[in-house]
Amino acid sequence: MVKIEHKRALLVFRFGDKKFEWPIETRYWRNPILGVAFLALLPVIFSSHPDILSLIATANIYACIAIPLAWQMTGIGRLNFGPQAFVGIGGFTAGLLSIHLGWGPWATFPIVIITGILFGLILSPLTNIAKGLYFSLVTLILPLIFLEITYYFGIFKGETGLFGIAPMISIGNIVAELIIANYFSLIMMVLFLFVVVKVFDSRIGLYSAAINDDEEVANNLGLNIKKWKIICFVVTSVMITLAGWFSAHYFGTFAGVTYLQLPFMLKILMIVMIGGRGDVYGAIYGAYFIVILEKVLTIFGTANYLLFPLILLILLFTLREGIYGIYRKHKYREYYPTIRVRKR
Amino acid sequence: MLKLDGVTKKFEGLVAVNNVNFQIEEGEIVGLIGPNGAGKTTLMNLISGTLKPTEGRIEFNGQDISGVAPYDVCHRGISRTYQIPRPFPDMTALMNVAVGVFCGKNRPNMSLSDAMLDASHFLEFVGLFGKRNMLARDLSLFDLRALELARALATTPKFILIDEVMAGLNQSEVTIAIRLIRKIVEEFHVTIMWIEHIMKIIMEATQRVVVLQYGEVLTSGLPEVVVNDPRVIEAYLGEKIA
Repeated sequence: MVKIEHKRALLVFRFGDKKFEWPIETRYWRNPILGVAFLALLPVIFSSHPDILSLIATANIYACIAIPLAWQMTGIGRLNFGPQAFVGIGGFTAGLLSIHLGWGPWATFPIVIITGILFGLILSPLTNIAKGLYFSLVTLILPLIFLEITYYFGIFKGETGLFGIAPMISIGNIVAELIIANYFSLIMMVLFLFVVVKVFDSRIGLYSAAINDDEEVANNLGLNIKKWKIICFVVTSVMITLAGWFSAHYFGTFAGVTYLQLPFMLKILMIVMIGGRGDVYGAIYGAYFIVILEKVLTIFGTANYLLFPLILLILLFTLREGIYGIYRKHKYREYYPTIRVRKR
Repeated sequence: MLKLDGVTKKFEGLVAVNNVNFQIEEGEIVGLIGPNGAGKTTLMNLISGTLKPTEGRIEFNGQDISGVAPYDVCHRGISRTYQIPRPFPDMTALMNVAVGVFCGKNRPNMSLSDAMLDASHFLEFVGLFGKRNMLARDLSLFDLRALELARALATTPKFILIDEVMAGLNQSEVTIAIRLIRKIVEEFHVTIMWIEHIMKIIMEATQRVVVLQYGEVLTSGLPEVVVNDPRVIEAYLGEKIA
């Protein structure tokens, strides 16, 4: 039986010997709700511009990769340079199942999760074996090996990639399909945001912060760091795999050259860093900023290839706390409880 | 309470700790002294599980803990501080201690707010409550030492390993720190093994002293007996302590 009690600014749910706390004061959730409401309006406002709708979905997908990556960076205390390997695993699993077995997105969904867990578990010992730069180097190589595999084995269709993957939704009206799929991407992003924010506000967030700061001390304080790093790596990997699943079903195509190459990885890392130096909300700011910047710069033609990294580099050096840091500095309030973690 | 039986640690050719045997009873404050490189911190790392002994057996409350993972050693009731303070620099003092509260024992039903409340008690005990919301990297050396003690206490230990807690402190801070450690023993009934170089503190605060040299136990006994031992004077002190 669930018992609910009101305790100052919290609602406390007791279920057996388990306890969950829920902040009910508006200041805890007002701004995120307003932000999500604004993002929810965008597909309606731009309903007659399929290119902008596609841009919004891309930003949401990028955020779906960057949000779990922000947690992973803290929770395993290492910088993963190859999150796109898991995007590839999700995309290709969904694509191959859809093309060869004719499965729709909801049929491929559980298989993609299982594949994500499997590969996450296989690679998770790396979080305990490889430290610092070695972990980054190993994870950097992984997607490149995967890319070579997609060239080598015909089933992945090399440079052209898989196409004809079942769409997210099929109702016969292209505009309506685009808008609904857009909302799916938003729902997925908000879900990821919700999960990671809740995790950061819980004891797991504290464990992650301790591992990020000094894992040897955390171990000596009684934290089973091996267990928690593996849990964090597997869960975040599955979340990133789902971004690949969504991408494959949303665009109907999936190619290794798009997702497994270094430029895509750099884009994701830039989102994490420029958004807010690993901040969860910052990942959303970063994703939308990068997507919009990329689109705007196309008016400069080929100069875009020089301008895009140049602007990002300037921002990386000038915005020490990322784009979200500007907001936080001006609107900073001490919410209780907070975990302050600075990314290096 | 703690029994070391033939504990040896070799780093390839180097024997850092060699056949160390001694026992610590419940409620004791035991000083561990010796020249630099004698193997004091290595011994502490062996007890806390950070290093695995090459040979020998470490028993805590009758259970073999040699080679047990550090987190498990902590769960069994052994906590430690570091020679050079190692706080979680980017977390507040309160959060630093909250990690100890959560992780020291299995506490499935504790929320973050509960842990913070517990942590604030420990911070108040060591005199850091006023600085609870400061990031650990902004704290002074003395505050960091106090924070390490609060964090170690938060794991609810039965035995605390203290590694040179007085290093770098001035005279008045040393007095406060000794008072604090005595208060810890009185209120929390913990046993302490204390590495220290300042002999006056060892003489004043400990009940028994173990002297290490070249990784081996040179002698052990009451502080006033040990400091007058000619072998200890020759190996470590250099001159007789009055």
